Amino acid sequence: MTDLSYNLKLRKLIAAWSDNSEIEANRFADRYRDLYPREISNAQLRGLENVIRSSRQFIDVKGFIQHQGEKAERARRSDVGDFWRGLDSDLSSLRDEAKRMLHQTGSEISEVKLDRVHHQLAEIYVQHLIAHMFYWTPFLEEKGKIKRHHR
Amino acid sequence: MVDLNRKIARSSDEYDHRAREYAVRLNRTELSKTQIRGLETLAYTTNKVSDVTDWIKKHVAKDAKRNLWAKDGIGRELLITLEGLRQDAKEIVKTAKNYPTTFREDPDLERQLHLRLIREYLKHLVAHFEYQHAVKRQQ
Repeated sequence: MTDLSYNLKLRKLIAAWSDNSEIEANRFADRYRDLYPREISNAQLRGLENVIRSSRQFIDVKGFIQHQGEKAERARRSDVGDFWRGLDSDLSSLRDEAKRMLHQTGSEISEVKLDRVHHQLAEIYVQHLIAHMFYWTPFLEEKGKIKRHHR
Repeated sequence: MVDLNRKIARSSDEYDHRAREYAVRLNRTELSKTQIRGLETLAYTTNKVSDVTDWIKKHVAKDAKRNLWAKDGIGRELLITLEGLRQDAKEIVKTAKNYPTTFREDPDLERQLHLRLIREYLKHLVAHFEYQHAVKRQQ
């Protein structure tokens, strides 16, 4: 299989997965919507976005998420801890999805390839999650449920 | 393939009218041509519908003064409209009797069509918005 054919197949598979995973990411965001922007701050979500964009390996993203989870536990915020743990679990499980995609391309699976695709899927999931969490904030404000924090 | 393109063209002509009405409302906001074109460019360069929806969501959220995408729920409405085009894509796939089996059975066909319809809708929207914008400035 040529690199071009592999890249095209993978690109198509990732695009289809992205559009399907949006619903799942939105559901996850909806479950914890009340925690934003007080208990889960804008800075934390932006931090997650930055880490995932600048890192090359999923392990770096996992480290960030686990650190946020530990901070929440220390502050005795089990609800916030649940958010970070749930996110860790969802993003970690994307490795199987990445493996399945690589199988579908017919390409040989190496740890490097797997890690790259896994990281890409995690980035997309986080993009959906953050967009959805931010999106709902103005509407909650209109209903007077929360006050706008500096963004 | 010819039949598919014809169906897309027919849907596109239907969107023209809807987009014109929506452009009138967009012109009541303080959105600039660049901001509207940015959305169109994204739709034409991405291969994911979710990139378009995420873009709108983020821009609605960023609009703290509520004079751009968050004004009168305009961004939210656009999201609903674009999501609704999925149904049109579904219909087109359902009537795809004359296509080769391999094409018809492509599980990704509906999604790809949905994105093409979104591009068509936004193309009309940008054209109407810019035209109305120019007319408004001349008055």
